[in-house]
Amino acid sequence: MKKVLLTLFPLVTVLLMVQGYHQAIYVAPDDAMQGYVFRIIYYHVPSASVAFLFFFISLIGSVGFLAFRRSSPNRAQIADAWALAGAEVGVVFCTVVLTTGPLWGRRAWGIWWTWDARLTTTLVLWLIYVSYLLLRRFAAGPQMQTLAAVLGIFGALDVPIVYMSNRWWRTQHPAPVFGGDQDSGMKDPTMVHALLWNMLAWFCWGMLVLFLRYQVERRHQQYAAIEAREALEASA
Amino acid sequence: MDERNILDHQFVVAAYTVTWVIQLGYLAYLGLKWRSEKRNAERKSRPAR
Amino acid sequence: MSSTLWTHLAKDLRIEWRSKDAINSMLFFALLVVVLFSISFDPRGAFAQQIAGGVLCVATMFASVSALNQAWAREIRHQVMDAQRMAPASGAELFLAKVLANFLFVSIVQVALAPVFLVMYNLRVAGQAWLLALVLPLGTWALVANGTFFAALAIRSRNRELLLPLILFPIFLPALLGMVQATTSILTGDSDPWLWIKMLTGYDIIFTTVSLLLFDVVFHAE
Repeated sequence: MKKVLLTLFPLVTVLLMVQGYHQAIYVAPDDAMQGYVFRIIYYHVPSASVAFLFFFISLIGSVGFLAFRRSSPNRAQIADAWALAGAEVGVVFCTVVLTTGPLWGRRAWGIWWTWDARLTTTLVLWLIYVSYLLLRRFAAGPQMQTLAAVLGIFGALDVPIVYMSNRWWRTQHPAPVFGGDQDSGMKDPTMVHALLWNMLAWFCWGMLVLFLRYQVERRHQQYAAIEAREALEASA
Repeated sequence: MDERNILDHQFVVAAYTVTWVIQLGYLAYLGLKWRSEKRNAERKSRPAR
Repeated sequence: MSSTLWTHLAKDLRIEWRSKDAINSMLFFALLVVVLFSISFDPRGAFAQQIAGGVLCVATMFASVSALNQAWAREIRHQVMDAQRMAPASGAELFLAKVLANFLFVSIVQVALAPVFLVMYNLRVAGQAWLLALVLPLGTWALVANGTFFAALAIRSRNRELLLPLILFPIFLPALLGMVQATTSILTGDSDPWLWIKMLTGYDIIFTTVSLLLFDVVFHAE
């Protein structure tokens, strides 16, 4: 049963991707105001949704690790694997958002970037989780997971604050707003369908990659545990 | 007007290409990590010398 | 509780008073940053009023990091951390004492820097000047509280001097925004700083509380 799912899911994902691409490029019409370049939205918005979801998963993993690390070590390791996987794949999707966004913005609104609430928050989110990954790389020893979990919580706490403070900043000093009407512009049902297809496709792709990353990390944890035990026995 | 459309088209192609380069690049990186973990596991399962 | 806090605080203050390492290096670094910005952006007239707040805050940030990197090094060198771990007192007091000490040092640097700013930027305070005495400490507290916490986080890593700013700055961004906006609005008298003052206060309360709660987790991380 599990094997069937394991081979079927990637296949379904690829099919969804093809369907999503077809919808985005061939079925959906040009936008009334933005023209052809509006189609970037079908990759940009789903990537953003997946990124935020995965950062949230990473937060849950961090909290779970801190909660379980004394009472149930194995569960804590699982939580930590999710925390890392969520953060890393989230950064990948967030990178996509930060590169497709300016490409869209340049053609649609004439500017590559602006420091409005949404863009700034996305950039800061990216910075926070990249710093999280750097901590995991540079910190040594068994306490690394604990430290990373704490940083993960701090980072997640900061995100709503960044968003709100930037909103206040922009009510005082108005600046161009990116994609302010991208949602209101979706009056055509074909466009909504195209977006939904791509949402589903990118969600499935994301879950696939997330699951793979989680598995790689679990294997790495087990290998590290064996190494640690051998080192302990060798020194005894 | 036509020039604008061509540039629009190029930007869409660029955006989609960048997306796939990032995603597939990461998948490739994951594949390499998977392989190295498999090698580690094999090394550990072999009887100790 | 407060006696442990006082012990740690008095110790840090006394050590710093004798060597003046942190304050001297911070002061010089901050001054350098101010000069660098001035050469890069050429502050003149009304423009100087606009950017002075930002330059002061960024200079404070870079200067603080140079001191924060050393914040825990001394403790590790003399096995204070191990002694603290064995003591029944909570790590939160050690943390709070460190934050208070660093807060004092950075504030001294800011006060020393203020006349330099007034002169180099030809500053006139158009708004209510006394508010600066509220805004600057709030912003500095945000920087020092988070900075001390993350310095403890980064201490067991390979590149700890590099890692501290990398993990501190993204999280500090909203406080930086608040501090700069409030300072600029006080200097130029353009807008109302109270929104930012409230935001800074909220930020300080949230992050100080979380730091106090989680410090023992970091401190006793096995």
